[in-house]
Amino acid sequence: MKYVKIYLACMQTAVSRAAAYRTDFVLGNLITLLSNIIFPLVTVLIYANGAEFPNWTMWEILLIQSVVSMSGAISSMISGGILWVTMDCVREGSFETILLKPLPPLFYIASSSVDTSSVGLFIGSIAMTVISAVHTGICGAEGIALFLLMFLGGISVMVGLDLIMAAISFKWVGNSRIPEIFDSVREFGKYPLEIFPESVRVISSIFIPVAVVGFFPASALLGRFDTLSLISLIPCAGFLLFGVWLYNRMIRIYEGVGG
Amino acid sequence: MTAIKAENLVKSYTTYKRGSGFAEAIKSFFKREKVIVNAVDGISFEIEKGTVCGILGPNGAGKSTTIKMLCGALYPTSGRIDAMGFVPARDRTRYVNKIGAVFGQKSQLIWDIPPADSFAVNKAIYGISDEDYKNRLDEMTELFDVSEVIHKPTRVLSLGERMKCEFIMAMLHAPEIVFLDEPTIGLDVIAKSKIREVVREMNRKGTTFILTTHDLEDVEQLAEKVIIINHGKKVFDDSLQALKNVLGSKKIVSLTLTEPCIGDEIGGARIISRDNDFGVSLEVDTEKQSITDFLRDLTACGDFRDISVKELPMDMIITRIYSE
Amino acid sequence: MINYIKHKLEICRAVAFVTYKEWSAYRTHSLVSVFVGPVYFIVQYFIWTAVYGGGGAIGGMELSETIRYFGASALIGYLTMDFADWNLQMLVRTGKFLTFSLRPVHHRFFALSQKIGHRILGFYLEFLPCLLIFVLLFKVDMIPCCPLWTALSVLLAFLMNFYVNYCLGMAAFYFVQANGIRVVYQLLGNIFSGMLIPLSFFPEIIQRIMIFLPFQYTNYIPAMVWTGNEAIGAMGLTIPQAVMYQAIAVIFTALLSEVLYRSSIKRFTAVGA
Repeated sequence: MKYVKIYLACMQTAVSRAAAYRTDFVLGNLITLLSNIIFPLVTVLIYANGAEFPNWTMWEILLIQSVVSMSGAISSMISGGILWVTMDCVREGSFETILLKPLPPLFYIASSSVDTSSVGLFIGSIAMTVISAVHTGICGAEGIALFLLMFLGGISVMVGLDLIMAAISFKWVGNSRIPEIFDSVREFGKYPLEIFPESVRVISSIFIPVAVVGFFPASALLGRFDTLSLISLIPCAGFLLFGVWLYNRMIRIYEGVGG
Repeated sequence: MTAIKAENLVKSYTTYKRGSGFAEAIKSFFKREKVIVNAVDGISFEIEKGTVCGILGPNGAGKSTTIKMLCGALYPTSGRIDAMGFVPARDRTRYVNKIGAVFGQKSQLIWDIPPADSFAVNKAIYGISDEDYKNRLDEMTELFDVSEVIHKPTRVLSLGERMKCEFIMAMLHAPEIVFLDEPTIGLDVIAKSKIREVVREMNRKGTTFILTTHDLEDVEQLAEKVIIINHGKKVFDDSLQALKNVLGSKKIVSLTLTEPCIGDEIGGARIISRDNDFGVSLEVDTEKQSITDFLRDLTACGDFRDISVKELPMDMIITRIYSE
Repeated sequence: MINYIKHKLEICRAVAFVTYKEWSAYRTHSLVSVFVGPVYFIVQYFIWTAVYGGGGAIGGMELSETIRYFGASALIGYLTMDFADWNLQMLVRTGKFLTFSLRPVHHRFFALSQKIGHRILGFYLEFLPCLLIFVLLFKVDMIPCCPLWTALSVLLAFLMNFYVNYCLGMAAFYFVQANGIRVVYQLLGNIFSGMLIPLSFFPEIIQRIMIFLPFQYTNYIPAMVWTGNEAIGAMGLTIPQAVMYQAIAVIFTALLSEVLYRSSIKRFTAVGA
């Protein structure tokens, strides 16, 4: 209960910070939104040139990509800040200030680094999802339930990845390019799984379950869901737990060695 | 021979009033209130070749702006500068070959690699011959005692070591005039005295130094000529000896007493400020009252827990000069 | 005159060498490219294989051409990568630009030398490994059809990127919030430079407008030249024509940067009085 209160208080600070720097807030959000809706442009251009992904309409592909944007927005609000704060603190050697707080370090970082720059992307991606879904039509209450389930799985993968990256930054100090690695891996979740060969399909649904970020939830909405994909939820939970474990372990190592 | 001659230097900045809040920001987008600030306001002086000249003044007085104009980094709004036949800002590219500059906060050294590598960049930029480069580098590293240090990455060096390397970097091309902006700021006593020693040594060999500072000690130990600037105007321009004559031999003595004191004198010296009931600062004029007399009078007055003696701070010097 | 050039080359060599050394400390960062580049390439490979299906041409390009295009585009990115904009803005904001006005060197020349040093590092830490992965592992034919034109075009892209970014960096002399201008340019660059998708896929009107904007000259044109496309885009430019357009763009931007530089220097009033 105490933790919920702290988290809410921190969120409030984040909101008032955004309100104080309104221009920065609006511009930051606009830029995040615009730079994230670039990649669906490729899909639009492909279909505009009369080509297509076999058996997929343009709106179906856009639905997958909107869902990816949506979970990207949510996860960056939850855990995006953890990565940057950790990276900066480790590089400047000021991580001790976090350890001094009477709270679990991971919780403290997560709540104090709530990021508001993805609010615009969140709203924009919901709009895109709704527009795409209107064009494709969706498959009933069951589909929505499955969608929500897979979507939650996708968010836990994303948060897990953020935590793993943050944990890596303890070792790989000052490398601001770490996030690029995971951004590139996420690309596999933005397109229908069947365009990839068997090996990539297995990797992206079991080992690094990025398919759960966009493809699976979208196909649940479209009624093209393969029940077997539910298995992917196990590695999703695993990713989140592994992320938390790894991060906490890195903190303990850091405490041992010092800055 | 005159190294630098400045006439009626003026540098003014136009700034805009900035409101706070969103509505104000929008408003200022369309209509802004201009504010013109004269950072330097009609200063003239001459500096002889081969001297060390100190430009003194409190923070924000216009010293740095003046020195930047003398270096050619800033165009004067009006007025003329003649430096060894050059007009600094106009002839910048040719002029800067002949000068060196150390600006305390603005490092020329490259953070991640050893100073020796940064030196090599300046060697190429100034076209220094291999032989000159080696001789000067050896000489300077010897003087500063940094022959080991220059092979370590800059980021691991102490502030003092870094400052010494900045000096070397600025002097490798044997400039005729060297500008130093707050050269000893933030340094410990040993590093300060080392840097002053090298300035004296290089000056003996003919280099002209112009330094800004708000540390009176720098000036006392180095400068022959002192220019004091306040609020963009020149308030003093004469030899160090003349400055000393104006100031007389006054010292500031801070005391921590054991019991609160009343009255405005202790041991015959005037109280000029009170920090609290127990802490006071006195001004002692050693021409009127010798230190021995003062100390005797002081002990007679009562017990005190701590004592320290300081030079006159900058703001007091300026008030003093004004009142003369 | 010869001495002047020799002196310039000496400066360039010294600055490039020091920059090379400086960034060598971060060489593990470049390893990220060796992973990220091929991953993006794989994704592109499967997307386009699926989209092309049986065969045919889209936007005037065949499947093999499109694949080669994305390989070339990524590799050109490594050869021409640039952050002169960020660097110059940082120097102006912190007032460190002052140390350059006190040295007898044109800062743009200094910055170009830095870029050369930085990209030599990029050449064998990013370009070569990725080229080898594309050719040996993915079996993509990355040999340019006209090596000389390609080399010239990549060189022009290198300069184009530099001059454009340098101009953007100079915005810091005029605005406190110059960062915004950079972000907007980057955003447009992401869309229109050709790294996202060949410009041939855009409607013709956009392709025509792009002739007058800097974006395509940094990536799309050289990647098309590398691919060996005989009729580039909707205008069907030949390779020599495309490179000529590129050269004009570079000269124009270089002149613009000189004009801006002169007025910027006049404006430059180092931070703090």
